[in-house]
Amino acid sequence: MKPEFRLQNIIKEGLNDTFLIWKSELKNVFADTGVMIFFFLVPFIYPLLYAFIYNNELVREAKMVVVDQSNSSLSRKYVRMIDATADVKVVGACADMEEAKRMLDTKQAYGILLVPSDFSKDLHAGRQTTVSLYSDMSSLLFYKAFLLSATEASFELGKEVRMHNNPVSTEKLEQITVNPIPYESVTLFNTQNGFASFLVPAILILVIQQTLVLGIGMLGGTAREKNRFHTLVPVSKHFNGTLRIVFGKSLAYLVLYILVCGWTLVVVPKLFGLPQLASPFTLTMFILPYLFACIFFAITLSGFMVSRESPMMIFVFTSVFLLFISGISWPMHSIPSFWKATGYLFPSTPGVQGFVRINTMGATLNEVAAEYKLLWVQTGFYFLTSCLVYRFQIIRSRRLVHQQYQYMKAKHKTK
Amino acid sequence: MNMTQLRISIQSVKNVAIRELRRLVAKPLYIFCMLVAPLFCMVFFLSLMKEGLPVDLPIAVVDLDNSSTSRSLIRQLNAFEQTEVAMQTMSFTDARIAMQKGEVYGIFYIPERFAADATTGKQPRLSFYTNGSYLIAGSLLFKDMKTISVLAGGSVGLKTGTAKGLTEAQIKGQLQPIVVDTHSIGNPWLNYSVYLNNILIPGILQLMIFLVTVFSIGSEIKFATSQEWLRLGNNSVLVSLAGKLLPHTLIFTLVGLLACSLLYGFNAFPLQSGWMPMVANIFLLVLASQAVGVFMIGVLPTLRLGLSFASLFGMITFSIVGLSFPVSEMHPTLQALANLFPLRHYFLIYVDQALNGRELIYCWGHYVALMAFMILPFLIARNLKHALLYFKYIP
Repeated sequence: MKPEFRLQNIIKEGLNDTFLIWKSELKNVFADTGVMIFFFLVPFIYPLLYAFIYNNELVREAKMVVVDQSNSSLSRKYVRMIDATADVKVVGACADMEEAKRMLDTKQAYGILLVPSDFSKDLHAGRQTTVSLYSDMSSLLFYKAFLLSATEASFELGKEVRMHNNPVSTEKLEQITVNPIPYESVTLFNTQNGFASFLVPAILILVIQQTLVLGIGMLGGTAREKNRFHTLVPVSKHFNGTLRIVFGKSLAYLVLYILVCGWTLVVVPKLFGLPQLASPFTLTMFILPYLFACIFFAITLSGFMVSRESPMMIFVFTSVFLLFISGISWPMHSIPSFWKATGYLFPSTPGVQGFVRINTMGATLNEVAAEYKLLWVQTGFYFLTSCLVYRFQIIRSRRLVHQQYQYMKAKHKTK
Repeated sequence: MNMTQLRISIQSVKNVAIRELRRLVAKPLYIFCMLVAPLFCMVFFLSLMKEGLPVDLPIAVVDLDNSSTSRSLIRQLNAFEQTEVAMQTMSFTDARIAMQKGEVYGIFYIPERFAADATTGKQPRLSFYTNGSYLIAGSLLFKDMKTISVLAGGSVGLKTGTAKGLTEAQIKGQLQPIVVDTHSIGNPWLNYSVYLNNILIPGILQLMIFLVTVFSIGSEIKFATSQEWLRLGNNSVLVSLAGKLLPHTLIFTLVGLLACSLLYGFNAFPLQSGWMPMVANIFLLVLASQAVGVFMIGVLPTLRLGLSFASLFGMITFSIVGLSFPVSEMHPTLQALANLFPLRHYFLIYVDQALNGRELIYCWGHYVALMAFMILPFLIARNLKHALLYFKYIP
């Protein structure tokens, strides 16, 4: 047997080539500012920007005007109690609804509280009274703030009024008649219902997949533009095996993205005080297949990129689509089954679901088993498609070289 | 400028526009970005949220009482449109694990001896837990579980009250003296499709306009066709731009009008002031976004850098526009920066005109702002011309 066909030698040569390709791919990355933007600048800046935008987490002091038709000590007290809550600030009193609506028109306020004229009379007589709350719907968070504050104040004032109306013998007895079944509500995990804690973790995971797709797509597009045969694979004896190319390149991306993940998934949440219940072991075990799946997914897509810029034109807008299909803002159970199935094609869907549960909700791998398995399935699937892409490109590039050779030979003869 | 010059300019615009139309048709990438991507997003977002609100969100009930009262409570909870009791268990830990697995978004807890304690005045406590990491699901379930808890107290109160000989009005006054009646102006159904899609879809349009504008100008530089383009445009950068972008304006406006007809026609979303204000709004959004696109490639005449700028700016729009999280609650710097995004003005016009039906006087400033973006190409014209003539593309 010839020495180059011996298994041992093939493996040895394969490892050498893998290492060479790994090195050359790293060089490619660092030599290309466009790619550097996606691999380093975007993952560095984007999370900071988003965390900065949503940093306040909650609506504080949403502006409200009051139309107090009762104008009694009780109604004034009620308004004061609403004003005292953290969520709402009463910015003025209006004589009638017309005036109040004008305040909304001019954006001096986003909500109106209408206290009816018999507010005080009804309460003193022990009758139920109804206040009306009008909210501008440009943001749901305003509506939520108004509703919570008004409800809270109604509850407190109601309690006082009852005590006053019904001086029952003991306080305990009083409690029973007015509040036979008390209830308590608890928000788990994101305890203050903060906006950053809800959305930013999903964005962080998405940034990893999208920057990989854009960066690797750009590398692929550039390779094709530069290559004289417009194929992805250079004509070199080291680029002669599918596996060594796929392994070599993905290893390069993996090394870089371990750093990127450390920043986006560990440092950024810490900097902005986002919930972080993940155990380091669980997180690492989960992120690893996510990175594999993303890298092979990106390599597969890069096979279809014919120019340097096409990835940006094609993939940037998908981030919005992917965020919604990941089932964080629009709950997974309400996503139509066709879209749910589509979502499973992308590593970001199980990635976001799993990361949010591990990081925000303290789940272990047991609780995210479905997502974890899906990521490995995706890793396997996209690994195969990556190999197919490169296999095809190697064959194509060899054929083109061969054609060129034949052409040159023919030309030489005719001369 | 005399008449002949004007005629020559118009002719040049026409020539450039014809050249551009040929370029658009020749490259599938343009067709993808100008038509396929926006249409795909319209179909996706409108079909994703076609119910308006997420329905049948799964919750777990921990029923330690297991009496006819508690079972009836669970049935009533299940009857709500947003809530579905997907799991019944005796163990809170099981329910919590189900939540961590993502199988349920809320837990409703009924304590032992609930029915017996309630009737004997021992004040048993109902507890409910929502998952704050799914904000929308959490707040919808909070509403349903709170309502059912209030109702449970109400029915017990009614029983004990009538036993004491109180009238229903008296009992109501006892249990809940002040009722808050809420009116969500313009969107009484709290419909999320109305709330989000009115802005998400134009947002995608804006992003694609940024990218396509930058790409179409930047690739002239990259492939060294910019001088030919300028010559056809009578060596005037403004004439060349006008001719190049005119076909884009036409196509994007048609796509924008399609979006409007899907939102306000097909889906009949609130359109309080009629069609004209929103048609003008989307048209100005197209023009303003194109102007911003020209500015981007004028500042960064390298195609990839221009596109990176466009991508970053286009994506951040969705957050800074103040749809999900209001701009007034952001850092003051961001409040000022928000004005640099055409979609922000589009959004404020939409809120006034389509959602609330306010007088034009309250938002004409934002129409002016959208028009003001069109100054940008004039500001950058010199720089851009220089780039078109002398800039050497370095890969």
